[in-house]
Amino acid sequence: MMGQRRTAGPTASFSSKTKDGVAAGQQDSTKHNICMVSDFFYPNMGGVESHIYQLSQCLIERGHKVIIATHAYGNRKGIRYLTNGLKVYYLPLQVMYNQSTATTCFHSLPLLRCVFVRERITVVHAHSSFSAMAHDSLFHAKTMGLNTVFTDHSLFGFADVSSVLTNKLLTVSLCDTNHIICVSYTSKENTVLRAALDPEIVSVIPNAVDPTDFTPDPSQRDDSKITIVVVSRLVYRKGIDLLGGIIPELCLKYPDLQFLIGGEGPKRIVLEEVREKYQLHDRVRLLGALEHKDVRNVLIQGHIFLNTSLTEAFCMAIVEGASCGLQVVSTRVGGIPEVLPEDLITLCEPTVSSLCQGLEMVIARQRAGTVPPPAAIHSRVRTLYTWRNVAERTEKVYDRVAKEVVLPLDRRLVRLRAHCGSVAGSIFAFVAVLDFLFLLLLQWLIPDSLIDVAIDASGPQGLWGQRRARKRELNANHHEGTGTG
Amino acid sequence: MGADSGPGAPSAVPWRKVLYERQPFPDNYVDRRFLEELRHNVGVRQYRYWPVVREASLVAQQLSCVAVFLTLWWYMYEGQLSPFMLLLAGLMSALLGYALYEALGGSTDGRRTRLADLQSAAIFLAFTFGFSPVLKTLTESVSTDTVYAMSAMMLLAHLVTFPYTQPSPPGSLSLNAALFGSVCLASRLPGALHTFAMLTCALLVFALWPCLLRRLRDRAEWGFPWAAALVSVGGVCGLASQSPGGALLLALALLVLILLCPLLLLWLQRHKNNIHGPWDEAEIREDLSRFLQ
Repeated sequence: MMGQRRTAGPTASFSSKTKDGVAAGQQDSTKHNICMVSDFFYPNMGGVESHIYQLSQCLIERGHKVIIATHAYGNRKGIRYLTNGLKVYYLPLQVMYNQSTATTCFHSLPLLRCVFVRERITVVHAHSSFSAMAHDSLFHAKTMGLNTVFTDHSLFGFADVSSVLTNKLLTVSLCDTNHIICVSYTSKENTVLRAALDPEIVSVIPNAVDPTDFTPDPSQRDDSKITIVVVSRLVYRKGIDLLGGIIPELCLKYPDLQFLIGGEGPKRIVLEEVREKYQLHDRVRLLGALEHKDVRNVLIQGHIFLNTSLTEAFCMAIVEGASCGLQVVSTRVGGIPEVLPEDLITLCEPTVSSLCQGLEMVIARQRAGTVPPPAAIHSRVRTLYTWRNVAERTEKVYDRVAKEVVLPLDRRLVRLRAHCGSVAGSIFAFVAVLDFLFLLLLQWLIPDSLIDVAIDASGPQGLWGQRRARKRELNANHHEGTGTG
Repeated sequence: MGADSGPGAPSAVPWRKVLYERQPFPDNYVDRRFLEELRHNVGVRQYRYWPVVREASLVAQQLSCVAVFLTLWWYMYEGQLSPFMLLLAGLMSALLGYALYEALGGSTDGRRTRLADLQSAAIFLAFTFGFSPVLKTLTESVSTDTVYAMSAMMLLAHLVTFPYTQPSPPGSLSLNAALFGSVCLASRLPGALHTFAMLTCALLVFALWPCLLRRLRDRAEWGFPWAAALVSVGGVCGLASQSPGGALLLALALLVLILLCPLLLLWLQRHKNNIHGPWDEAEIREDLSRFLQ
């Protein structure tokens, strides 16, 4: 299916950015060919992964063509199709550390160029500052003259050596990127400072939660007790040490209190020790790693959702908890105070005593029956953050970016040297020149015109939707499973 | 909500830093309150010159300790100092130091009895004495250059890894490096008794003296600079008797350490620009191990 070459039609020339939209008969909004790039994607699970997936689905729904590029996960390599013709390239790049690929600035250019050219990509959207592949793709996309967008999902400090170095790399990576998206205002402030950016080119578009996945069900609760639910990876940054102090403190005070803890990680040992020491095996249940579909089943068993994170850019977990109708108690760190209205969340300082105080207040309210019913909380939260809204706002960023010019090489070099300091700027200007020469070599070896153009699965000419419609007309009942393009 | 709406949008409602409300501002809107929670240099200590000099003298005297040890080794190597003399001097200073250590207090950590101390000393002396012939021949098959290079590396490692800040006896890495360097050097001495005397001396200089100095620093603050100065002068004078050039270099190094480095620190301190804000990772300041005891 990839061997066919499209010769006719307005999309044959690679550089035409807007003809797709014109061909589709859309006057007001241009349709883009978007490539999402990140090291983190399914089968890995987490906030970034689900963000990329959900955003892509909603963009496809709005008529854009979206593909995803990530690195191969074990046996999962090559091209895969997900729901609605979302095409995923699992590229054979070597994983270094924590599912992030190694970066040499050059080795990924041939592969990524191939993907960008054959898919006629107009906007490259990279995700997560921890992903080396995302930075690589930004670098190559700029060399190839494509528009670039970057979404930052995490917060960073400024004080230690590792953050000084990563912040420098981020400065280099973002200094000529067209637009940056952050998930909260705190995250925007952080990114603007880290990468020395003009705040005008940084948009704040929050994450979202699928409200239909997180509906309350009070019948699943045991109302003779009060259940506190924690769903998080059990790592230091999630404040599991604080949780280890809260559990004995509150369990001694309230005999009808129980904890339900979902998630896995190196700090599990802390909770197990606490459980052992205070003989709380029947009151503190450790459920281990949860699949995404099981999270709701755990959440609806609780009355109170507790989040003890020490740093958080957005925190989807508290929105999921509130969406299931739970009372949310959380630490006041990072972007968390921006996420939920004050009457839906109890904010505490990141100390055991403050969190216990907050929890006790909520427990008292729960006992007195003065908390709003779960259905009422759900109906308030369900409209706050939707992926459709995120896609709409991201689309505006794409529209703006598509109108901007990508810096030509000479101005890019000037920008790098002016923006990133004389030493790092000069080094990366040199790397940019090498990247450009490498691209010229590749273009001489395999000219763009010789690279097969892939058939669109999504987008204005997307065959997936058309085929689905045709099949439906033919009343074919058994059309499911993986697509063939 | 558009990213490219005009910047001059009407702002009848003030902007709020919340995400749960749809506000009539573009997504890339920059409010006046942008970065208002940014803080500079939170909790940075302002140093003054003389207190820094005082603390720097700890580093200087440790460097001098190494010089003193090397001078003693040199005397032994040249045969100008008999092992008996060294042992006698070591015993005297150990008793003197122990008396001073006890006199300076120890009401808090006075768990160990004198008998236990004596026992430790006896065990150490007996083992070192018994093994000194072995230690003497330990490096015979290794070339002398290698041994010198190795001891230089080890003593350097001792200086680098010495715990200058925490109030504790010398760290294990630092002490081990120093003792390993001492064994290397001691094995090049003419006799087994020399080796024994040298190792006993190493223990005094590298293990026991820092303990005494620490207590001096805690309990008798006025005594600490004097002790540091005494060791520094002793190191320079001792080295001068063998190698005037070396003594000059050491004296210069000590002066730079004590007088110039604090100046440099104070000067660089003015350029410190550390930024803090709501994005900082919260620190857990309380002691959470109490829940597990």
